[in-house]
Amino acid sequence: MIDQLVTVLTEASIFAIMALGLNVVWGWSGDFDLAFYGYVALGAYMTLVLTIGPASDPTTYIFGLSLPFPLAVLLGTLSAMVLGLIVGAIALRHLRGIYFSIVTLGAVYVLSTFASQFVPLFNGYPGLSGLVDPMGDFFGIDYASYQYFYLGLCVVLLAAVLIGVTRLSGSRFGLALRTVREDERAAAVFGRDIYRLKLKAYVIGAGLGGFAGGLFAGYLTAFNTSAWSPLETVTLYAAILVGGRGSTRGVILGVAVMVLGLQEATRYLPEVPGHPDWAPAFRLILTGVVLVLFIRFRPQGMIPERRMRDRTPPGSSGREAEVVAGPQPVTGPALDTGAA
Amino acid sequence: MTALLEVAGLAKHFGGVYAVDACSFTVAEGQVTGLIGPNGAGKSTAIDLMSGFKIPDAGTVLFEGRPIHGRAPHRISRMGLVRTFQSPREWPGLTVLENLILAVWNARREGFLRSLRGPTKAERAATTDQLAHAREILDEFDLLGLRNERAGNLSGGQKRLVEFARIRMAQPRLVILDEPMGGVNPVLGERMATAVLGFITAGTSVVIVEHNLPFIERVTDSVVVMAAGTVIAEGPFESLRSNPAVVDAYLGEMPSYDDVDA
Amino acid sequence: MHQALLTLGFGLVAAAILSLSALAFTLEYSVTNVANLSHGEILTVGAYCAYEVQQHGGGVILSGLAAAAGGGLLALAVHEGVVDRFVRRGIGGLPTFIATLGVSLIIQNILVVIFGGGNLGYQVPQGAPRTVGPFLWNDTEIQIIVSAVAITALLYVIIQHTRFGKSLRAVSQNRSLASVSGINAHRVAALTWVLAGLIAGYAGFIYAESLGTLSPTFGFQYFLITLTAAVAGGLGRALGTLVGAVIVGIALEFFGGYLSASYNLAFAFAILSLVILARPRGLFVGGRRSVFE
Repeated sequence: MIDQLVTVLTEASIFAIMALGLNVVWGWSGDFDLAFYGYVALGAYMTLVLTIGPASDPTTYIFGLSLPFPLAVLLGTLSAMVLGLIVGAIALRHLRGIYFSIVTLGAVYVLSTFASQFVPLFNGYPGLSGLVDPMGDFFGIDYASYQYFYLGLCVVLLAAVLIGVTRLSGSRFGLALRTVREDERAAAVFGRDIYRLKLKAYVIGAGLGGFAGGLFAGYLTAFNTSAWSPLETVTLYAAILVGGRGSTRGVILGVAVMVLGLQEATRYLPEVPGHPDWAPAFRLILTGVVLVLFIRFRPQGMIPERRMRDRTPPGSSGREAEVVAGPQPVTGPALDTGAA
Repeated sequence: MTALLEVAGLAKHFGGVYAVDACSFTVAEGQVTGLIGPNGAGKSTAIDLMSGFKIPDAGTVLFEGRPIHGRAPHRISRMGLVRTFQSPREWPGLTVLENLILAVWNARREGFLRSLRGPTKAERAATTDQLAHAREILDEFDLLGLRNERAGNLSGGQKRLVEFARIRMAQPRLVILDEPMGGVNPVLGERMATAVLGFITAGTSVVIVEHNLPFIERVTDSVVVMAAGTVIAEGPFESLRSNPAVVDAYLGEMPSYDDVDA
Repeated sequence: MHQALLTLGFGLVAAAILSLSALAFTLEYSVTNVANLSHGEILTVGAYCAYEVQQHGGGVILSGLAAAAGGGLLALAVHEGVVDRFVRRGIGGLPTFIATLGVSLIIQNILVVIFGGGNLGYQVPQGAPRTVGPFLWNDTEIQIIVSAVAITALLYVIIQHTRFGKSLRAVSQNRSLASVSGINAHRVAALTWVLAGLIAGYAGFIYAESLGTLSPTFGFQYFLITLTAAVAGGLGRALGTLVGAVIVGIALEFFGGYLSASYNLAFAFAILSLVILARPRGLFVGGRRSVFE
């Protein structure tokens, strides 16, 4: 029971970091990026090839440098950012709306194909394994208590990401991205370089995806193409949409509902003989239903993005009064941005 | 009177059809300049070319003596030339107050690392000043009560006023208003006129494209008339009534406004 | 026989399947302005219908009809249940696009629940290859090509020469204008989706025939290639789509012949990305545009 809770919480923390990254791209900047899980996968693959030893027959992969885990995660994050920079630089230049989504979907399928078919890169379809209890030896943690250590690590890192993301969200940088999301032309008219802003957001998102991917690799100890489908991104979108697009607290709630809640709710489904795939499939059906219903009936999510709320009484100069941010229960951010 | 904006020989064609051709005129500093002409005269294309939303095939646009043609919209904006659009382009999901605050672009504060670090004491003070200034402007436009409302929930006329307030907040050297009376209740006419003149007081020169000629007559110091992509006349509004080219271009539409000295 | 001609023959078979799938997608897009991400599932469901009929002893013709019927029903359900509700509420293209992604996920996994996630074999007697003009095709391949050409011709007649086709063109040009001039736009859109579903369902059947296998995700993967053809031809343009499908189909066959066929998807997307970046409105429309133009 406790073991199960530890597992689920570790997974949820990692997914929360992914979702926060995707929220920067979709929630703040307004781009429906379908390549996102590619950055998670790249982070995971890179972390693995950097931490495990050199390849031995019959496996083949690049690097195999036996680097320390934190350094490998960092490099994995950086490589995801570089890939994000390349994809973003191409796709964000002229493309908006569904054209952007289609090209990013293409990018992730290309990546997935190469990961599974081009064996010298990440050992192809069987993938990589052998990262056991990263940093466990360094801290002298025994096998039995390692899972608690890793949960703690993930929670601490999630907290750090949360602090950074919360700061950025309400900052001028975060708000400038919101102007781009709400109306690109108006943003440009008031001095914003929309391409650069969108690209920055995209690379930040890719970085958080790669970072979460690195942690995911440490948790799974292995990674291969059957561990991820390019459509994994959809689950993250469902979480963001349920919680509240653009809203940091909303994303955390969304991950709690869609990862923790859905996982737990479907854990005790009866086994159906001859249908081993039935429980995860049922979960994905529910994810799809939730996605459709929320877009239709509550696009702003359960905790809508915070808006600045000025409580200064009219007439006073306002120099001494405070401006508080609070949720505003009107409508969510316009979902449709850019030329669809 | 110095020229703030000089347009010379501007041309843009779409698939062989010239929307703007050999278009030249100047805009004086500290004045309201009208840009009028019948539908299809090329006014909208001319604005797009001046503000960087379209790239001219030929010609130059000098703003304060510096070439701006072919530059990206945000660069032109940073140099002090801001425009509006035919339909209001507020940031609908943001509040009215946020719409004003974010009209002020600040390269340093909008940087990623700086934003990650959190605002400095000086920046906090600057924000407080900005908020106070924004409230003053909103009060002037009678929008103060709506400051926490999402801009997307306002009426068409209110959105126009938010746009005007945003420009007052940004304080550019020149603003190009694209049909500001379009979709606005005519009752607001006098108020819009006051607002346009208010830009001049605040140090922002104005170019205004508008079909409502009484409004043009009311607010402009001089007028540029376009037809078939090129400028056919320039001068104070009164001087144009007797200009046969202008009357021709409007197919006799013009004299109907001329009810004083027929 | 010359290797290139042989490859071209296979390319034409691939192009025939792709044409039907891409034309159906274009039909859906033209009347609702929604890029339907669950389009691939119409093919998948069509293929599973054909599979079920075959399992119960049905022949090729019955299988094909069942596939078309299944596809038509599913398309109608997606249109009435999701897409039309979004369009009528004025919800924009991108949110509706996202919703159809949700629909895709739902259908794929319903199929997983019913049939399991693995591949199912779909074997039909293919007949011996024989020479047709310069090409070498077996019975199934001839059936695929002949039926695809017939369906395309029939579609052309429907669009160009019937009252329904006229309404369809009017709605795709300007839905609100069509409504004002007395056309029941909703009915036309629904019927167009049914038509698209019939074609896509049948396309799923012939795709399964030529592939020899089917799985809950096979339509989605094929959709990515469909999208390449449709976008290359210019979204919403029937003739362009047809030309795009033929080019992409043949190109992929040649490419697959020289490199591993598993890279086909990646290659299709390389084409797609290049087309979108260079010519967002399709290969056959002139002019570039910036973000703002």
